[in-house]
Amino acid sequence: MKTYSISQLARAFGLSRSTLLYYDRIGLLRAAKRTAAGYRRYSENDRKYLERICMLRGAGLSLADVERMLSGDSGPSVAILEKRLGELGDEILFLRNQQHSIAAMLKNMTSHKCVTVIDKKMWIKMLEAAGMNEESRKAWHAEFERRASEAHHEFLLSLGIQESEARDIQEWSLGKL
Amino acid sequence: MQKNVGKEDWVAMFKEVGLDDDAMKQWHQIFEKRHPEAHAEFLKWLGLSPDKIANIRTCC
Repeated sequence: MKTYSISQLARAFGLSRSTLLYYDRIGLLRAAKRTAAGYRRYSENDRKYLERICMLRGAGLSLADVERMLSGDSGPSVAILEKRLGELGDEILFLRNQQHSIAAMLKNMTSHKCVTVIDKKMWIKMLEAAGMNEESRKAWHAEFERRASEAHHEFLLSLGIQESEARDIQEWSLGKL
Repeated sequence: MQKNVGKEDWVAMFKEVGLDDDAMKQWHQIFEKRHPEAHAEFLKWLGLSPDKIANIRTCC
């Protein structure tokens, strides 16, 4: 009859040796035999039992519930699975709430971005598209400055231009720079 | 010296530097095609009503 060392069994199920030692200590899975030197030897039945443990753990059951499911009849097992199903429903609800708040935050952030989406570079490109070269853009600034200096200043700031650069542009448009 | 400039002032300023009505219409078309959201923001910033904004965006 084939037997397994603790390391072989641990590797086969992707567990650590200490996990199997822990299962041994709490009585969940005890090795069928020991060698003369005292090493644990797991039987084929032990391997199949561990397979069921891993399946139940994979469904998110606690070790206590796993033990109750494997030792009891189907009565408590149904109750345990129903309880776990209910817990999962709560967790899904919790996660969905997180999903909604993140989506709402993102929506807020991206719509906020739209407000400042026109920057200096885009504005110059749009003026160029209208056929305005640097000379006529300067004339436009001069006109804006002459008619409504403050509004001109505010418009430049709204394009994301720094205060000092905006002042420079205003002076330049009037030929003072 | 006024603080707020409205649509008329903008039109007047662009006319002053040599843009005619056709050029401005074309400019709105280009702006709408390249940056629809920025175009809407700009018109809103000018203080136009939602109706007028929709009008300019679809007509031009």
